[in-house]
Amino acid sequence: MAAGFKTAEPLEYHRSFLKENCRPDGRELSEFRTTTLNIGSITTADGSALVKMGNTTIICGIKAELANPTVDAPGKGYIVPNVDLPPLCSSRFRPGPPGEQAQAASQFIADVIESSEVIETEDLCIDRGKLCWVLYCDIMCLDYDGNILDAAVVALLAALRNTQLPEVTVNKETSTPEVNFEKRHRLHIHKHPVGTSFCVFDDSVLIVDPTAEEESLSTAQLTVVTDEDDRLCSLHKPGGSSMSGEKLQECINRATARQREIQKLIEKVTHSVTTAQ
Amino acid sequence: MRSSVMVEEPVLLLLPFSSDWPIRIDSSPCLSQWEVGSALLENMSPMKLCVPGDKLCSEEDCIPGTGVYLRHGYIYSALAGYVLKKNEGEKRPVISVVRETEAQLLPDVGAIVTCKVTSINPRFAKVQILYVGSTPLKDRFRGTIRKEDVRATEKDKVEIYKSFRPGDIVLAKVISLGDIQSNYLLTTAENELGVVVAHSEAGAQMIPISWCEMQCPCTQAKEFRKVARVQPEYLQA
Amino acid sequence: MPTDTKRVRGPEVSQSPVLFGCRPAAVLPSHGPRADGRQRDQADVRPVFVRCGLVSQANGSAYMEAGSTKLMCCVYGPRETERKDETDMKCGRLTTDMRLAPFSCPVRGSWIQGTQDKDLSLMLYESLQPAVCLQKYPRSQIEVSVMVLENSGSVLAHAVTCASLALADAGIEMYDLVLGCSLCQDAGSYVVDPTYAEETSCGSGGGLTVAFLPSLNQISGLQSDGEMSEETLTAGVRTCIEGCYKLYPVIQQALIQALRRAAPPPSES
Repeated sequence: MAAGFKTAEPLEYHRSFLKENCRPDGRELSEFRTTTLNIGSITTADGSALVKMGNTTIICGIKAELANPTVDAPGKGYIVPNVDLPPLCSSRFRPGPPGEQAQAASQFIADVIESSEVIETEDLCIDRGKLCWVLYCDIMCLDYDGNILDAAVVALLAALRNTQLPEVTVNKETSTPEVNFEKRHRLHIHKHPVGTSFCVFDDSVLIVDPTAEEESLSTAQLTVVTDEDDRLCSLHKPGGSSMSGEKLQECINRATARQREIQKLIEKVTHSVTTAQ
Repeated sequence: MRSSVMVEEPVLLLLPFSSDWPIRIDSSPCLSQWEVGSALLENMSPMKLCVPGDKLCSEEDCIPGTGVYLRHGYIYSALAGYVLKKNEGEKRPVISVVRETEAQLLPDVGAIVTCKVTSINPRFAKVQILYVGSTPLKDRFRGTIRKEDVRATEKDKVEIYKSFRPGDIVLAKVISLGDIQSNYLLTTAENELGVVVAHSEAGAQMIPISWCEMQCPCTQAKEFRKVARVQPEYLQA
Repeated sequence: MPTDTKRVRGPEVSQSPVLFGCRPAAVLPSHGPRADGRQRDQADVRPVFVRCGLVSQANGSAYMEAGSTKLMCCVYGPRETERKDETDMKCGRLTTDMRLAPFSCPVRGSWIQGTQDKDLSLMLYESLQPAVCLQKYPRSQIEVSVMVLENSGSVLAHAVTCASLALADAGIEMYDLVLGCSLCQDAGSYVVDPTYAEETSCGSGGGLTVAFLPSLNQISGLQSDGEMSEETLTAGVRTCIEGCYKLYPVIQQALIQALRRAAPPPSES
């Protein structure tokens, strides 16, 4: 009774697969789930993207608003990323304010944006010291099956690529902004950071793109974010079992390969959307 | 290493509505025409599919089974599923609506459940119900095996820690749905009920040697359990 | 406003660019055909696209598009109730949670659940509850959560339809499906299944949302706001029911399709 074994002894069940260098869903240890991307489907957002990695589904919607820049950074705009894990996406989440995992994910995304310089906040300035854009990047999980960080980074990047801001001019006489929605321009994306997550099983076996079940059974998790110049933007390893330097290098190598694949995917989808219009 | 990145042509979810979607208003056939007649089923009578609220037949034609309800003398479907008619030697067949998975099964009084012990104390053992019969539960339900329900004889001599340990897989029977304070109440007071899988302190799966003892194959150490006489249909991996 | 320490915060005030548009928004026609070409005073609902069972984690789920309104619904349970009281012993509990994504409306919404979301959740609960056979699920609760990804009008009506589909997909026993339809009164005429622009432009006229059990021919939920005369209200309810009947075959077909995909018919033995 294989199903019984799976529910009663999930760890043993996974170990029996890992012994044979494969995983319960038929993947190899270093194999990602199929990644699909759809951009611009939410017309009420200024930019949007939907990413599916296996079952995990993440949507990112970007809304731009106007605000005054801060006094210490008069020439900069704001990027405000938030990750939400609503009760809709898994039975483990309850309604109410964001839980620890959602808070950690929001902070992780904010760190990636800052360290990778995906967008220069100077580009969001409209009138120095007076007016700038705020990009609210709302990332929401619709189906939680592990590895939300990777999917969230891809969704954010693709949504930023899809974002078109309307033209704003400041009226000299009344000093109020005037927005022309007919003239829109795209954001300038400087870098393409892509995350790759790993799980460590029994302190030794390394697997990529873990599912929710694999995450819960693993002894450590690790997320590596790299960009197209192979720069390491962020390395997130919240505790867990220790890891050797060689293993870490192996992870970084896998992450740079993954970055290429994802960037190609984003280019392809963006291209197909622009030609369709 | 296989590349796993793929552009799926129409990503179904969230694709803006376009006119060539298969489902459209005003081109849909009447529901009662929906029948399965694929090549696979040629030698079977086609089975009807139904959705909640469909009127299936009159009360005079069939006896209501599961997944249906009775209203004003007619039998209606309460589920989206296949309509199943069974003749059980009676005048009228029993009509039921079935789905491929009985996902919504709940533990009921008298049901045999498979559970995992989560914690023990001198008065009772707390368990998580994993299976009802052979159907896995999607959401975990908690249950309690009280000291007096562990075995049928010498109830006053029962000691919980000599019967169960956390992590054991136990077969039990539901005796009550419990009240406001308690969870499902379970019993193992039958020969066929009790511990089926247990691990020794050394971590190996133990072999039952009597109704109250199990032995570790590595260390030969014996540990006390309320062991179930395993029936073939419940035999687990 | 209290500071939110659990999210990444932006500037204290920011304004939607919609407020500063240099050209006034296009005025919707108040008579004749509607902006999207549909007819007034008729049960002219938008084409819908529905699909069941997309969310792997949920027991049942449904995704729905009506025009450009996009929403999805997941059903979890029956599972153990968290809070217990006397009534739960005999029958189950239904909980509903409906939210509008921050990017779903022209002006960005807040993450914090507002009164609108709570009102919608309550109305969703009241519309669904009569249709679910809760007595079959003692000691357990069934959780329905709806997320509106894009609000292009009539979200409550479509949420009701979508939620009943997700419940059916989860295999929860129900007396009937529940379908929703809404309309807006605009001057002398009314528009069925209004878009977001139509909903906001006819602020003075009343709005009406009906939740309908098509097979039992019963109304499970009726919500009306604004000013409406008695005759228009009854006529409006009738039109909404007509709109629901137009949706019915589409919803049935989506469920049947999901069943077919999920499994071949069981053997008759």
